[in-house]
Amino acid sequence: MPGIELKNVTKTFGSVTVIDNVSLSIRPREFMVFLGPSGCGKSTLLRMIAGLESVDAGEIWIGDRRVDQLAPGERRVAMVFQHYALYPHMTVRENMSFGLRNVKLPEAEIDKRVDAAAKMLEIAHLLERKPGQISGGQRQRVAIGRAIVKEPQLFLFDEPLSNLDAALRVRTRLEIAQLHQRVEAAMIFVTHDQVEAMTLAHRIVVMNNRKIEQIGTPMEIYSRPATTFVASFVGTPAMNFSPVELSDGPNGFVSARLPDGAIVATRIDKASLPESRSFKLGIRAESLDICPVGQGQTAGVAQFVERLGDRTLVYVRLSDGTTVVAEDAGNSRVAINDKVGVKFDGGGAHLFDDQERGHHAVLEGNST
Amino acid sequence: MTTQLSSGAVGRGLGDRVILAATIALAIVMVLPMLWAVGLSLKTNAELLVDTNSVLKAPWTLRNYYDILIGSGVFRWLLNSIIVSVGMSLGVLALSSLAGYGFARLEFPGRNVIFVLVLFGLAIPEQAVILVRHQLFSDLNLHNTYAGLMLPGMSAPFGVFLMTQYFKAIPTEVDEAAMLDNASRFKIFWRVLLPMTLPAQATLGIFTFLHAWNDYWWPLVSGTNEQMYTLTVGIASTQMNFAESAGLGYLMAQAVFAGLPILIVYMFFQKYIVRAVSGAAA
Repeated sequence: MPGIELKNVTKTFGSVTVIDNVSLSIRPREFMVFLGPSGCGKSTLLRMIAGLESVDAGEIWIGDRRVDQLAPGERRVAMVFQHYALYPHMTVRENMSFGLRNVKLPEAEIDKRVDAAAKMLEIAHLLERKPGQISGGQRQRVAIGRAIVKEPQLFLFDEPLSNLDAALRVRTRLEIAQLHQRVEAAMIFVTHDQVEAMTLAHRIVVMNNRKIEQIGTPMEIYSRPATTFVASFVGTPAMNFSPVELSDGPNGFVSARLPDGAIVATRIDKASLPESRSFKLGIRAESLDICPVGQGQTAGVAQFVERLGDRTLVYVRLSDGTTVVAEDAGNSRVAINDKVGVKFDGGGAHLFDDQERGHHAVLEGNST
Repeated sequence: MTTQLSSGAVGRGLGDRVILAATIALAIVMVLPMLWAVGLSLKTNAELLVDTNSVLKAPWTLRNYYDILIGSGVFRWLLNSIIVSVGMSLGVLALSSLAGYGFARLEFPGRNVIFVLVLFGLAIPEQAVILVRHQLFSDLNLHNTYAGLMLPGMSAPFGVFLMTQYFKAIPTEVDEAAMLDNASRFKIFWRVLLPMTLPAQATLGIFTFLHAWNDYWWPLVSGTNEQMYTLTVGIASTQMNFAESAGLGYLMAQAVFAGLPILIVYMFFQKYIVRAVSGAAA
């Protein structure tokens, strides 16, 4: 099975550049997720791979074939659209076989593929119905079935779960993951939902403002964000940020002093940090624990308390007026306006320089 | 709470009854002239000359219909009307669908300007162009031909506008899915998008058919040979004198006969006509 290679791909609409010199390699059978906010260019990039948008500069390769000049139908890709894009006047069977008929596959082969896909997706009983006679979730399965029967080299999913209700979204997400295990092809999945990205992807491409911010495994993206944007976009609640002054800490690491005077001893190697006019400390809620006043590095007043069952998020206003989100146990007794202490786990701290680049705690035998 | 609900229901019920009564009254006003025409067609001319109120009294006769069957050109005119109306409807559907698809989906220089020019056609009354058209058709020897009767109606700015809007309302994702399914552009139009516009085509086809069936002026100008009369022109030509004091029953029988096909169209396509009219109102 072939991999996919994007080389310096650029797309402009008039004078506006919507994809700016993007290069990317997708391995054979890899499940890649394009993650980013609306308007970041992720869907445009997907559509360029599909052939639905022209490529103004650069090249797209699928295996050893350069495809960016080929018509969409000649690229051996299949796409599942956000709004299903089924043909409403055709039955489910006709929808699934339409593409196969266009390439003049023998009828017996068409029936075989359609029946097999329908069985796999549990829609065999719907084959003679029209899209208007089935539910939204079933329509999405038909759309996936239409992609499967083509036996493509690459599956493209353009926010396919966004029209489904929460329960169905979880179920369909799982089914897509199972589908990936059954088929040989690579998959690219576009979403703005970080949970979908984290749960489905082998690797995530985080995009912002027409460019790739970071490519990495879900845990790399989460625990070692390359930029401030990635750190703030991935993870719920969003990472806490605060401007800090750095000083020498123990073992060659740096310590960060927050505006309210709290000192956080990080595990970030001082030697790895670049010259920068300023640094921001980034730290996730799970590295900030609520504790009795006096036992943490700093203290403040609880502004909001969100009880999530297994844990409690406490929004604490510090003495300098900034608010941080800290975590407490599920059965936390903290109430609004309580004075609480905040304990920083320096091992979970990140520093971001004035170019917004992230610097992280030292890994075993490694540094950034 | 219950009282309020009850009085609301009563209010609604009363309102519904008033609307129903008004609807029935209007329906009677609409239907009475037609029934009167049917009644007149069942009377001899001699009786009608004495008193048209004799419609309400026996005897009635089918003599006028018998005269149509043996002596009138009404069958020929009926055939002409069917050919012209069906032909014009098919032509409008074909041209409007293709033009609508083009305006909605294709990128070409001057698209918006051309579309506006087409819409200008809506604002140009037939009276303003009929002399020029007459001259043009005369030069092209198109008068007294089916093409001559059908062609003017096929330039349908409203049809182009309607189909353009309908094609625009279909998500482009559908086209894109078909492109990925290896369909050619014509196949996407013919097999995927065109069937999705059937409701709009039903509306357009019905309106065009009714317009063509009832059209009088252009067939009067273009179809001067009696063999090329449409029903409207043919029936008008059988008036025996200005006041129609003679031959009224015969004329009414022809009118009833002429109305039968359109009645059949209404019966079979009632659902689509109601939808078309309510859709146009919306």
